[in-house]
Amino acid sequence: MRRYLVRRLLLLVPVLLGVSIIIFMVLHLAPGDPAEIMLGSQATHADLARLRADLGLTEPLYVQYVRWLGLVVRGDLGRSIWMKRPVLAEVLGRFQATLVLTGAALLLSTVGGVALGVASATRPNSLLDRLSAVASLFGASMPVFWLGIVLMVVFALWLGWLPASGMFSPYGGGDLGDLLVHLVLPAVTLAAASVTIIARLTRSTMLETLGQDYIRTARAKGVVERAVVLRHGLKNALIPIVTVVGVQAGYLLGGAVLTETVFAWPGVGTLMVQGILARDFPLVQGCVLVVALSFVLINLAVDLLYAWLDPRIRYE
Amino acid sequence: MRVASAWLAVAAVISAAGVASPAAAQPAGTLVVGLVAEPVNLDPAQVTDLNSNRVGRRIVETLVTFPEESTQVVPGLAESWTVSKDGLRYTFKLRKGITFHDGTAFTAEAVKFSIERQIDPDHPFSKLGKYPFANYNFGNVKAVEVVDPSTVEFVLKEPRASFLAVLTAGAASVVSPTAVKKFGADYALQPVGTGPFKYVSWDRGQRVVLEKNARYWRYPVKIDRVVYRPIVEDQARLTELLTGSLDVIVGVPPDFVGQLEANARVTLLKQVGAHVWYLGINNQKKPFDDKRVRQALNYAVNKDAIVRDVLKGTGSLSRGPVLPATWGAEPMLKPYPFDPERARKLLAEAGYPNGFSTSLWVPESGSGMQSPVAMSTVIQSNLKAVGVTVALQTMEWGAYLAKLRTKEQELFALSWMAGNEDPDMVMYPLLHSSQWTPTGPNRALYKNARFDEVLHQARLTTDQGKRAEFYREAQRILVDDPPWIFIDHEIQTAAHAKRVQGLKLHPSFDLRVETISLK
Repeated sequence: MRRYLVRRLLLLVPVLLGVSIIIFMVLHLAPGDPAEIMLGSQATHADLARLRADLGLTEPLYVQYVRWLGLVVRGDLGRSIWMKRPVLAEVLGRFQATLVLTGAALLLSTVGGVALGVASATRPNSLLDRLSAVASLFGASMPVFWLGIVLMVVFALWLGWLPASGMFSPYGGGDLGDLLVHLVLPAVTLAAASVTIIARLTRSTMLETLGQDYIRTARAKGVVERAVVLRHGLKNALIPIVTVVGVQAGYLLGGAVLTETVFAWPGVGTLMVQGILARDFPLVQGCVLVVALSFVLINLAVDLLYAWLDPRIRYE
Repeated sequence: MRVASAWLAVAAVISAAGVASPAAAQPAGTLVVGLVAEPVNLDPAQVTDLNSNRVGRRIVETLVTFPEESTQVVPGLAESWTVSKDGLRYTFKLRKGITFHDGTAFTAEAVKFSIERQIDPDHPFSKLGKYPFANYNFGNVKAVEVVDPSTVEFVLKEPRASFLAVLTAGAASVVSPTAVKKFGADYALQPVGTGPFKYVSWDRGQRVVLEKNARYWRYPVKIDRVVYRPIVEDQARLTELLTGSLDVIVGVPPDFVGQLEANARVTLLKQVGAHVWYLGINNQKKPFDDKRVRQALNYAVNKDAIVRDVLKGTGSLSRGPVLPATWGAEPMLKPYPFDPERARKLLAEAGYPNGFSTSLWVPESGSGMQSPVAMSTVIQSNLKAVGVTVALQTMEWGAYLAKLRTKEQELFALSWMAGNEDPDMVMYPLLHSSQWTPTGPNRALYKNARFDEVLHQARLTTDQGKRAEFYREAQRILVDDPPWIFIDHEIQTAAHAKRVQGLKLHPSFDLRVETISLK
């Protein structure tokens, strides 16, 4: 087990290296550079040349990459070109907000999805099952930004129940209650698609599991129905569900970019969008690195969960 | 059943929370402003975007400035100035007794420091920042000399009559040298100046907080605190305003203008800005090298429809690069009328009775670009009606700017924010032949010998009356020999809650919250 863990963690290095090279190339090969964007339509040739030299953009790409890598190895992600701040502190600060949002969305979609799936599976073709099928289609096909705006208009503008944007009130507030109130709309928006995917998958796996012989045996022994469903059924159906939840966690991290922008959530997504538009190379690299790292770690966690859920699975 | 009751519980918690903390009214004295994007940093010498400037310029000030609602140059931190006969020496008498927020004195030394850190590569503090427009603004400055603690002199390399207008730019702000030395590269994140507000705090991605400068020299500031919140999504900004969580929003999208005008809870403000939106034409490429073709394009486009239907009234018709009703504007100028018949005739005269095909490059968005794609689509269909087939090509802003440097453009959509009304600041860079891209921003590759000469002459005299005459002639030339299709000057919009009193939008696009009070 420990050897497996060490091997997986070591694998992180080539993965992150690959990710950083790809993102570095994509950013640098896209037309336009930070100097161009900073100077905008008023740029003169001389000003551009001077600023490019100042920013170290005149050197060959591999030199720029190696210099950046040198910084990273020493635990420094450089300074943002655009914002003049150290990238590491900025990204880590923002990543906390993203974690809160994706964490809440993941919790919501897992609990909601599994509950809905189990309920549908135990009463197939009931009203609840059909409603959940329709809702799933709806949830999966709605674009995040559209749903976000609709929820905002209904719950913030019309009903006035919830704040429309931000993570905390602009004055006062700052406590857990304030955070939770601000969290509801973005978390629900972000979770909408995932909840339906998890619900559909849970339903089909549960239906399959509940048709197994050992379930019939359990029922024949007179085990209460709730225990049959939850202990004998759900626990055995969990492996594919955990897999899809892990995939959804990655999807939510990516989907957070849009949700954060709609709700002015101060996470790494809004930061990354700003960085890409400004071609702020160090900033975008830093954001991508942190997101990629967390994605890989989530996958690792999912793999470890398998062994815990199913004692037959061993990592040696 | 358990599932249903769990959801009910969640719903109950949500609604209870909603009732417990409604969009509470702001504490008295605190103004909350919704910005379209987060400021990048707060040192106006180092920023190039409106949002950063709108916050940063509350903290620092310039020697000369603008009064409310105009971009005429008036005294700021300098109480008076003289210009030498040859136009090479600008001497400023500074106001006495003003201190920076850190308690240090505002002196001629500070002025020298503020400018020289940007232009002198050997200055001990020049390496602390990047000053993108240092050369553009101060490339013509040979030296900044301290005559005595309250007198400072700028020596120019060559006369440039618009220099006073240059000194109103954010980059010309006077900073506290003590603070720059103390904070180093981080100064840009916590600037110190003499302005009406002091920097307090910045929660990344959430808010920038400023506090009133109780010792402000000009007048007592009536609000205690300003909180700026970046909210990118238009609907979110609007909702926050309508639910009372924001007091002011700037940059109301055209589609929301009608809705806000009709809403009794808010006031909508409009103010035409020192800006011009134009459809550039590559004057060196066939068939556009024939001025009859360029005139024809101007007749072919229905500008009224663009302003009315696309911009919903957030633009005013342009008759040239200079803002109408400013001192340099030619009052007799009329916008090109919408006359497709005349356009077809001119095209026929130029040898294109059946029109021609061309391309139009458009950025998806960009600073000052209003609604570029929708506007260009109208232009495309207008041109189609006179036989000019236009292929629309949209690009991302950064990619677009890079592409314009290739000189391969035929038609292209672009705008310019001069930030002041000096005609030199818009006509010279955009249309003088010495400014052809990639050297300068003349991306239409326009060249007219008489126009060049007139602009040059206007730079040599400091007499505003004489300069105005030169600029009027220049504008008449531009109507006859049009470099672009003239479209509009942006009417900037803002909306505010009823408790906000006395907010006025400024033609320079600045947002001067120091002039307001709260009910």
